[in-house]
Order: sequence, then C-alpha cells, then structure tokens
Amino acid sequence: MNAVLFLLPIAILLGAIFAILFVLAVRSGQFDDLDDPPERILHD
Amino acid sequence: MEGAEDVYCCTGCEIAAELIRGAGLERYYAMREDFAPRPGGLEAGWDAVPVDLDGAGIASCRVQVDGLRCASCVWVTEHLLRAEPGVIEATVSYATGRATLRWDPAAVGLRDLAGRIAALGYRPRLLGEEAQFDRDLLLRLGVAAFAAANIMLMYVALYAGWWSTMDTRFVALFQWASLVLATPVALWCAAPFFSGAVSGLRHGVLHMDLPIALGVTVLYTHGVVATLQNQHAYLDSLAMLVTLLLAGRMLESRGRRRAAEAAVSLAASVPTTAKRATASGLEVVPSAQLRTGDLIDIGAGEEVAADGTVRRGTGRVRMALITGEADPVEVGPGGEVVAGSVLIDGAVIVEVEAVGRDTVLQQMAERLRIAADRGTRQSAADRIAPWFTGGTLIVASATFAGWLAAVGMDAALTRAVAVLVVACPCALALSRPLAGAAGLGAAARRGLLFRSADALLDLVDVDLAGLDKTGTVTEGALVIVQGDDRVLRIAAGLERYSSHPIARAIVEEASRRGIPLPRGTEIAEEPGVGISGAVDGKRWSLRAGRPGEVRLIDEQGTEAVLRLGDAVRPDSARIVSALRELGLEVVLLTGDHRDVAERIAAETGIGTVIARIDPVGKADWVHARQREGRHVLFAGDGLNDGPALAAADVGVAMGRGAASSVLVADGVISSGSLAPIPVGIHAARACRRAIRVNQARSIAYNVLAVSAAVAGWVNPLVAAVLMPLSSAMVIWGSSRVEATVRRQLA
Repeated sequence: MNAVLFLLPIAILLGAIFAILFVLAVRSGQFDDLDDPPERILHD
Repeated sequence: MEGAEDVYCCTGCEIAAELIRGAGLERYYAMREDFAPRPGGLEAGWDAVPVDLDGAGIASCRVQVDGLRCASCVWVTEHLLRAEPGVIEATVSYATGRATLRWDPAAVGLRDLAGRIAALGYRPRLLGEEAQFDRDLLLRLGVAAFAAANIMLMYVALYAGWWSTMDTRFVALFQWASLVLATPVALWCAAPFFSGAVSGLRHGVLHMDLPIALGVTVLYTHGVVATLQNQHAYLDSLAMLVTLLLAGRMLESRGRRRAAEAAVSLAASVPTTAKRATASGLEVVPSAQLRTGDLIDIGAGEEVAADGTVRRGTGRVRMALITGEADPVEVGPGGEVVAGSVLIDGAVIVEVEAVGRDTVLQQMAERLRIAADRGTRQSAADRIAPWFTGGTLIVASATFAGWLAAVGMDAALTRAVAVLVVACPCALALSRPLAGAAGLGAAARRGLLFRSADALLDLVDVDLAGLDKTGTVTEGALVIVQGDDRVLRIAAGLERYSSHPIARAIVEEASRRGIPLPRGTEIAEEPGVGISGAVDGKRWSLRAGRPGEVRLIDEQGTEAVLRLGDAVRPDSARIVSALRELGLEVVLLTGDHRDVAERIAAETGIGTVIARIDPVGKADWVHARQREGRHVLFAGDGLNDGPALAAADVGVAMGRGAASSVLVADGVISSGSLAPIPVGIHAARACRRAIRVNQARSIAYNVLAVSAAVAGWVNPLVAAVLMPLSSAMVIWGSSRVEATVRRQLA
C-alpha cells in the first residue's frame, strides 16, 4: 500500500502533463475550427 | 477523359484536373494570363488593409473568398497561394469561404495575394471584425473536467475508507492531492462565475452566477480549512459543480458566436474598391475613402460599393440582399441603388449618398450584431436566484446562531457549512439546460433545429406569427399562375432560349401542360423591356405589364395577359390553421405587391397582410408588436429577413434559404415545409412543463437537504450521495419530454 504514497503524485503529475498539452493544443488553435479539417481529407 | 472535350464546373476544377494530369503548378502562370482581370483593378484597395504583424515580422490576415463552388476550388486556391514566394500559410475554409493567410511582407504583399485569388476567378473581400472562438472557456472546461475526474477517483477511496480502517497517511495524501487539484478549479476555472456575479451586483442584477459563486467560495474555503484540520471536505462536489456548469456555458456561447458570424458575412458583402469618376478620368479607390457626393462608375457584373442615386446610364440591378426578391430591378437616372447589390447589365454612374456605416447594408449588419449581443436573457432560474441566495444565507446564519447557543462553536460552524453546501444550486441550475436539451432533441427529430433552449422556450409564449411570403409560405420560385394555352405557347416560343427567370417559368409551365414549343424566329431581346420575334409567321412582342403580369402583344396591338406568381407550398394552409389552433395570430409580410400578397393570403387562410415592406420595416413591425406586449414568431428564408429574424422573440429560418438568415435565426427548419413550427411549439410546451417539474423537484430537494443539514445529519458522504441524486431526479424529469411530445402528436 505504501506504493500509493509515491504513485499518486506521479499519476497526478502525468495527468498534469496531459492537461498542459491540452492547454498548448487549445492555444495553438487546434480546436478553433472543428468543421473544416474532417472535410479537408476528402479534398486532397 | 482523354480526347473528350472536358467541361468543368469552374476554373478550380479545370486547374485541378490539369494538375492531376501532371501539367504542374507552372501551368497556373500561363492560365493566369488567360483570365480577364476583374474589372476595376481590384488590387488597389488592398494596400490600405490593416494586417497583423507578429514579433518575427510575419503578417497575417483573414480574407473572405467568394465564388468557391467545390472542393477543387479550395484545393487550387490553397495550393497556388502556397506556391507564392513568401507565403507561410494559406488555408481556405470551404464551409465559411474564409482564407487564413500568413506571409512575409518583405517578399510579397497582400495586394499580390488578393490579386492571385482574383486572377483565379474568385473574389477576395475584406472581412469585418470577426467573432473569436472562445478558447478561454474551452481551457477552463478542460482543466475543470480533468481535475474533477481525478478528485472523484480519490474521493471514492476516501468514502470507502469510512467503513474500513484507513491509514491516516493515505487519508491525508488523498485530501491534500484533492486540494491541489481543486485549487485551479476554484480560483481559475470558476472565475467566469465570480466575474458574472460581481458585474451583476454592480448593475443591481442578481442572477444564477451569484449562488454559484457563493457555493464555490464556501466549498473551497471549507475545503482548505478542513484539509488543514485533517477533516473531510466537499471538494468532489466542488469540481463536479464547476465542470457541469462550464459545460452548460460552453454550449451557450457556441450559439452566440454563430449569430455574430452572420453579421460579419454581411459586412463583407461590400466590394473593397470603387471606380471614382474625377475630372481627369476614373481612379480606383478603396470603398472606405468614398465621400458623399462622389460619382462612381459601375459596369456590368460589378457590385455597388455605396448607397446612392443613379445620375447617368441604365441597367438592371439585383438587390436580393436587401429586398429578398430575386428579380433584377430596372434602374435609370434618379433611381436608387444600395451597397452590396449587383449590376447585372448596363452601366451607370452613381452619386454616392451613404458610405460605410451609413449604408442600408451596414445598418442591417449592425442590427444583427446588436441582436447577437443581447446575450442570455434572464431565465426563471435567474429570477429565483436572489431568493435562493438570500434564503440560504438566512437559514445558514440561523443554523449557526442556533447551534452556537445550544452546543458550541465547532458544531455550529460545521452545520452552517453543511447548509451552504447542500443548498448548492446545481440541480436548480441544471434543471433548465437538461430539459432544454431534451426539448431541442424532440424538435430536431421532427425537422426543427434550434440554436438554444432559451430560443425554443420562447416558442411557448408566442402569440403572433409573422410569416415571410417568398420561399416561406410559398416555394420561392416563379411560376405561371394564370394564362391560356394559346398565349403560353407563343410566349414559350419567344422565350425558349432566354435565361431570364420569367422566361424559364413560361417555358416550364408550357412543358408541364404538354404544349409543344414552337420555334420562334427573328428573336430580339431588349434588356429590361422585353422580347419580340416571329412565331407561326406572325410578329409578337412580350412586355412586362402591371406587377406580376406579362403582356403578349400581336401585330394589331391586341394584348393577352399571363399572370406570374409564386406557388404556395401544398401544406401551408394546413399549417396556418394548426398555428391558429395553438392560439397564434398569423400575419403575412412581404416586399412584394399587395394584390399578389392578398391572393396568397386568401389561399392559405391568413387574415392580415402587410405588403411592400423592406427588411428594416419587417424588423420595425416586429419591434412595434413587441411593444404592444405580443410575443412574436417570425419565419423567413432570405438574407433580407435577417433583421426581423433577429428581432423576433423566435426567428425561424428555412434551411434551404440564405445562409445568413439561417445563422441569425433562433431555429432552422430542415425540410421544405412549415410543418415543423407547430410541432416545435408542442415540444417547447412539453419542455417548459419538464423544466417546471425539475425546478419544483430541485426546490423540494433543497428544502429536505437543508432541513437535514440544519439538524446536523449531513456530512461529505451524505452530500456526495444527495447531490448526484438531485441531479438524477432532474435528468429523469427531462427524459420524459420526448414521450410527452410523442403522445401529443399521436
């Protein structure tokens, strides 16, 4: 059970990394337009 | 394809096909020369366009591109722009026709890029201010959802630990970890609710944000104190509350952004440049630099850059954008033209009377913008909010005072906090969005798509329906409604090869009646006057008569009349009587002539007719009725209906109508019929009932839960069970909307 003492912070840290990646993705505009990219596949 | 003569729908397809065959991009440069440049040296105005420059000196700009017909157009435009030296990014959206450009201003200028687009045969335009996608809200929602999921995992462990012994080290770890995760949720994610509550207080308005902000403050403060004292906190309830409420807000902001975009599209409809007549000849100037009194030259196929009066020349102008009627209008000296209309043929010189913000077009766009900004109206939940907040605070204070006197400080504080926690407005705040979503779904399955639950709910109170004529009550296409076979046969012979809308209607009606088309000879078409020629060895001429009529004149001057009209949708009469049964008064509004409008009204059973009304007039009519206390539904299909659709309590657009009317309306009919409107009213009424039931239930929950908290029976586990239970109750109540609608329609 003691493993939880260090696994939990690691889990939260990993989660935080994904949260930061999500923030970066939003900031770079990946979610601004969800309509066109799916159609774009069909164009090329 | 080889050897065959290829026909392409547009230049984009042709170039794309060339590229696929391996001709390569260099062919573009050869092709470019073949295209006649757009009249008026379109490039000139682009130098004055402000562009954004980033730190590295890279310029960026968004441009509206008109005339994109297919995916190939998008593909070609993008690829050829990217081939341009200095261009870093060029993406074109097929859905909106907007191009995003990033380039090195040292290597290439915006006027070159706009010129490239124009040379391809498309039309680049300047874009007005744009509604930004709300990245901020998405970030807050994402972070809150992430924190909520993790906190709940740890709380499951904590709650499980209540029945078995749990190492205090783990309890402390889980509590501290939850606090760490809950901190950004309370301080950052929930910030919009705090600012909403504060600005509400400043303006003397108490809305739902206030109890939410209060709840978050209490939950978080208690969480910090409890964690420091190694006691159980309500942090899972906090994270869940913020996540659910942010998700609701996200759905709301999407609808508002769509309406704002419609206003931008309108603003972009004015050409960027105009040809100004000066003493020394014509000069091309940006439209923004035109002044009242300037003379501008407009050639065939060009768009009008400003409102004004024709001084010289004649031509036909299509003003569909303003009047919604597709027929071109004849203009000559003294006639008026408006910015955004198109000169189909002829050539005119126009004296400018209004430019920029003063033009009719811009005023329409402004109305849309104001309508889009009206924001969320105060809902029933908002009206309850101050009572809810006040009541909770009073009960909490009383609890604190009572227990302080009876037991002591610790017990009094714990119970007062428990009151504030369980009286959380979650169920109340959700009762509307959830039932609303169910109502939206029920209406959508029956062909009426609504932008927001607010808009759908407004249908409940509607007692007056204003229906646009063309394209809404009628099919929207010109047809022959009266005329005998002999006249029709000769008219069809004359009009056989003409592409004019009236000609097409005549030929179509003749074919429908099975009349063999004679071959007309010596046909002479005089634009704006009519057509003449020989059929069966006699000379005839076809002239426009009174509105809605065409006259066929023979050699002796004898006249016969064909009446033109617009066919009424087959089920319109049934829908009008259905609306009446639901308690609505029905009014027909149209820019068309009174006699035409009255015929349609008689055919559908509509009592009141308002004819010859312009787009702004329609919106004024809506406002006037609203001032009389009426709740107005407006249904229309054209861009010209935009202001009225936006002004009405409920604006419903025909899905096959102009894109902008669809964007600005509250609801859209996806089929070619008005039938979904009465159905939508049924759905709205079921939805309203479900909301009332939900609200009654959540208030009942609050009374019970608060009583339990006052008695001291509530701890974090009880709260964690009670609060989802209240939400489940609301979900169950909402799910019954569909069943109710089905029963009523059966």
